[in-house]
Amino acid sequence: MADINAAFKAKMVQRKWAAMGVLFLAAVIFPMAPGVESWMASEATLIIMYIMAAQGVSILTGYTGLVTVGHGGFLAVGAYASALSTKYLGTDLITGMFVGAAMSAFVGWALGLVFLRLSGAFMAIGTLGFAFFVGTVVNNVPIFEGREGISLPKNHVIGFEIGDIGFYYTALAALGVTTLFVSLLVRSGVGRAFMALRDSEKAAEASGVNRVFYRTLAFSLSAAVTGVAGVLFAHYVNYVSSEVFADIWYSVDFLVATVVGGSAVLLGPFVGGLFVAFLPTFIELFVDQPGDLAFIIKGGALIFVLIVAPAGVVVGLVQLFRWLRGKLGGDTQ
Amino acid sequence: MFGQLFISGLATGSLYALTAVAVVVVFRNTRTINLAQGDFSMIGAFVALVLIKSFAFNYYFALAGSVVFCIGLGILAERVVMRQIADSDWLTLFTATLGMYYILHGVAGHFWGRDTKAFPLTFDPTPINVFGGIISQGHVVNMAWAAAIGLVLFIFFKYTKQGIAMRAVTDDPETAALMGIPVRFIVLLTWGMAGFLAAFAGVLIAPIIYVSPEMMDEVLIKGYVAAVFGGLYSIPGAIIGALLIGICENLAGGYLGSHFKTVTAFAMIVLLLAFRPHGLFGIQKRREV
Repeated sequence: MADINAAFKAKMVQRKWAAMGVLFLAAVIFPMAPGVESWMASEATLIIMYIMAAQGVSILTGYTGLVTVGHGGFLAVGAYASALSTKYLGTDLITGMFVGAAMSAFVGWALGLVFLRLSGAFMAIGTLGFAFFVGTVVNNVPIFEGREGISLPKNHVIGFEIGDIGFYYTALAALGVTTLFVSLLVRSGVGRAFMALRDSEKAAEASGVNRVFYRTLAFSLSAAVTGVAGVLFAHYVNYVSSEVFADIWYSVDFLVATVVGGSAVLLGPFVGGLFVAFLPTFIELFVDQPGDLAFIIKGGALIFVLIVAPAGVVVGLVQLFRWLRGKLGGDTQ
Repeated sequence: MFGQLFISGLATGSLYALTAVAVVVVFRNTRTINLAQGDFSMIGAFVALVLIKSFAFNYYFALAGSVVFCIGLGILAERVVMRQIADSDWLTLFTATLGMYYILHGVAGHFWGRDTKAFPLTFDPTPINVFGGIISQGHVVNMAWAAAIGLVLFIFFKYTKQGIAMRAVTDDPETAALMGIPVRFIVLLTWGMAGFLAAFAGVLIAPIIYVSPEMMDEVLIKGYVAAVFGGLYSIPGAIIGALLIGICENLAGGYLGSHFKTVTAFAMIVLLLAFRPHGLFGIQKRREV
């Protein structure tokens, strides 16, 4: 029986990678497909940023079990770090991503230390407070130029100026890197330590997992990934201001994206990011003035998903698939 | 100066307390961090505003209408959404309240627009003299309201059958069910109470921060912080926390400049959570989440 299970698992893993490959291939071809206009590529870029931010959240919430409602704060940290270094040091987009990731990782590490003793609902409230704190800081500290905002020059990658399509490919490449990073991370010893902490902190500590080290590490890695999304966000609109980044919506959206897709599965953030970022655009196709209506539909859809598939869409689909196999008299189990 | 800042801080804090108590009551009975609590208040404020502006209600009838509406909203939230997933883990419950947050924001924006609206002042704005400090009448009235609601809650929890049953459910829902307490009804009552408190929180604070879909976002955070002061369990702890936040932010705003006003509450969260993660007051029995 164990052999069959192992074989089944291997098959599923294979399928998952195949699905990933197809997804990325489709994403690469997408801008060249007939009938696709430039704005669609920008829209897709937005979705990519949401997916990436949700990946960051999933490291912390899904794999380490620390619920965060504050990753909008890390989005802002990444965005402002890159914006300031572009403005004052003239760095390009790629360097900006590294700067944003590093800064975000540092802030994440610090926050992880401050909130070392928190868990559960208290952690959610603490991180929400962090997001508001970042919002107040960028609103009031002069270097961030508050509501006036910082305008950025056109985007350059290794010397070349890039437009919408070029930006899309840059973002896609970055998403490829973060996806690979997350998938390698969760299979590594570090990822297993995170999951051990999630399942039982006491048992993990008793087995020799250094709680302080891995908790702060989870915070900084998670923050770094979301920080890169923030860098993309800043350069996507060539503008950062507190009007955008002090907004609590991002934090909420990223958590929703993570939970909707399935917080501890690789495909989860993809489904969730699509849900959160694409739904308003999708509704716009049918209704003239979506805005508030999109909010209502989004909320309703979210509640529906939670009632039908509490563990997320991806997990729900897998369960449905297994159940169907059982019903149809599948070959295993 | 100090006395004045202190009293007006106390007045604002007493309004935060309404949100904080609702957060605590819902959390300890249902394990739900209710992110929609602020939006219940926001809807309540809009309802009162519409009643006053379009239907020419007087203030007290508008307040009553808002209270009834919000209680209905709380009950609706429980029946339609939360009951379906009551057995899920707390993250699912929390995310479901996020869904309600989206919906209520969207509803308010759709029907009443995103712009900020003034709420008619109901009291004589001339300040009065209390113990040497000069404060506005609105503050006194707000404190009186908050104190009255606090008294009602105290009587409810101490002397009524439902209130005692509610405390029993808080302590141990399974045993409470075995003793014949209708746990489902008590949970429904809990959400109704959240709506009741939300209506007062929204309508009373509306003249100060004006009415808009986002009006309660910051208040909600302060309510959370106050709730954490009580370890998300103790109602007196949450009230004391709310008053402390109101006073501290007002003092910081008065002496250090208005930038520091908002920062103070968030600095307090960080300090509190870093050093006393489960509240300032020793909580003997706390449900693990």
